[in-house]
Amino acid sequence: MQTPIDGTNDSYPDDSGSTRTAPLEAKSPVAEMTNKMVIKDLRFYYKKYEALKGINMALYDKHVTAFIGPSGCGKSTLLRVLNRMYQLYPGQYATGEILVDGQNILDPKLDLNLLRAKIGMVFQKPTPFPMSIYDNIAFGINLYEKLPKSELDGRIEHSLRKAALWGEVKDKLKQSGLGLSGGQQQRLCIARAVAVKPEILLMDEPCSALDPISTQKVEELISELKSDYCIVIVTHSMQQAARSSDYTAFMYLGDLIEFNDTATVFTNPSNKRTEDYITGRFG
Amino acid sequence: MPNEHIVKTYDEELNRLTNTIVAMGGLAESQLSDAIHALVKRDTNLASEVVAQDPRVDQLETEVESQALRLLALRQPLARDLREILSSLKISSDLERICDYAANVAKRSITLSQTPVARPIQALPHMARIAQTQIKNVLDAYVERDAEKALQVWEGDEELDELYTSFFRELLTYMMEDPRFITPGTHLLFMAKNIERIGDHATNIAETIHFLIHGTPPQGSRQKRDRTSSSVVLPGPKGIVDSETSTR
Repeated sequence: MQTPIDGTNDSYPDDSGSTRTAPLEAKSPVAEMTNKMVIKDLRFYYKKYEALKGINMALYDKHVTAFIGPSGCGKSTLLRVLNRMYQLYPGQYATGEILVDGQNILDPKLDLNLLRAKIGMVFQKPTPFPMSIYDNIAFGINLYEKLPKSELDGRIEHSLRKAALWGEVKDKLKQSGLGLSGGQQQRLCIARAVAVKPEILLMDEPCSALDPISTQKVEELISELKSDYCIVIVTHSMQQAARSSDYTAFMYLGDLIEFNDTATVFTNPSNKRTEDYITGRFG
Repeated sequence: MPNEHIVKTYDEELNRLTNTIVAMGGLAESQLSDAIHALVKRDTNLASEVVAQDPRVDQLETEVESQALRLLALRQPLARDLREILSSLKISSDLERICDYAANVAKRSITLSQTPVARPIQALPHMARIAQTQIKNVLDAYVERDAEKALQVWEGDEELDELYTSFFRELLTYMMEDPRFITPGTHLLFMAKNIERIGDHATNIAETIHFLIHGTPPQGSRQKRDRTSSSVVLPGPKGIVDSETSTR
């Protein structure tokens, strides 16, 4: 016992106990998050039908939140409420509060144009205007600000670069946006949304009409854009939500069933309904 | 038990994976019981059979791996399904190790049958019975997806550890008393160690089952009663002294 087998007297470094380093301070991710949008008891009605039954949640700045759920669960409705798109239709109304940086955007006195500049939206099907690629982007900018030509050119190039489209269209900016492929058209729409410098980007199934390569490009884009924006994405693809979001909200029949960080939702969800939905047990 | 998948073939594939694991588990149980029977009855034929069966286990493990790989690639499993598949991989490698240990016990029993054993060795079959029960219970827990039952196995390993520690001391004492016992004693020691390790793998499986069901490992720490790494048996002026060092 007294003489070490190899004849030395070195004790194991472990025995001293003094060489251990202190555990690294685990930084709470919650501490760094800012609520960009806070939704309080939001209810939404299509005439008498209650499509959202009191949603409470927060959307974090510089993070991607995905809404998933079966058809008719209210996820697209929720997205449409977030920039008051529903106001275009009679008989549709919302109650509750949606606070963006503390301001309630459901307030009827709010300037809708300013709101929609702040909250950009990308739709399921690419919706380029029937005009040149250049004008597609300039159109939105000109609605909100008057920029000198050189600055406008700069902004358009910047937006197209942000949308990872610049390399493919820089030599044909005067050609029609309708001549682009589906994936390119969708990225053009994203460039158009980004051009007016929104703070929040809403995407309603942005990849459902795209091929896998274009889908990956849009997903890559989402991960780049999130350093600047609060992004909300509605998707039917579980894998897409898992790949591209930081937080996932599962909705069912107008209720928010579960909201948690994406890794937890897809590995160990706490609600049975969430689990059944994401593992393909009911639809 | 969770609901069925909308896609039925997905359920069928998951069931097939579970069945392969259960087949492996059944083999592990019978390999251990045959190995111990061969030892106690000095039946070298049976021992050779156990050794010859070992490749079958490896084959089943490969099957589990290829089924799991296929499911991961083709179904993109999530949540519980994903844990189910990860667990199958972990459990199959634990079962494969259990069978290796059983085969090793059988091999040593062949060697042991060529040496005279002057001492009774009841402790070893007793340990083996406990290990067998542990395997059986943990497999039941797996089939029934019963985390509580798995936890009982997890906590039940203590007894095996204690038996191993006392058998270890007993053998050291015998060997010191009679150098002719050193060869069989060493083989018995390794056999006991093998069985003790089998118990450890059963607890690993229990942990995996808990993870499979709850998504987290079991909470709290398990009592470890294997104290052989700090046991000392020395010949002293007043006979053999059995003590324990203070390093534990």
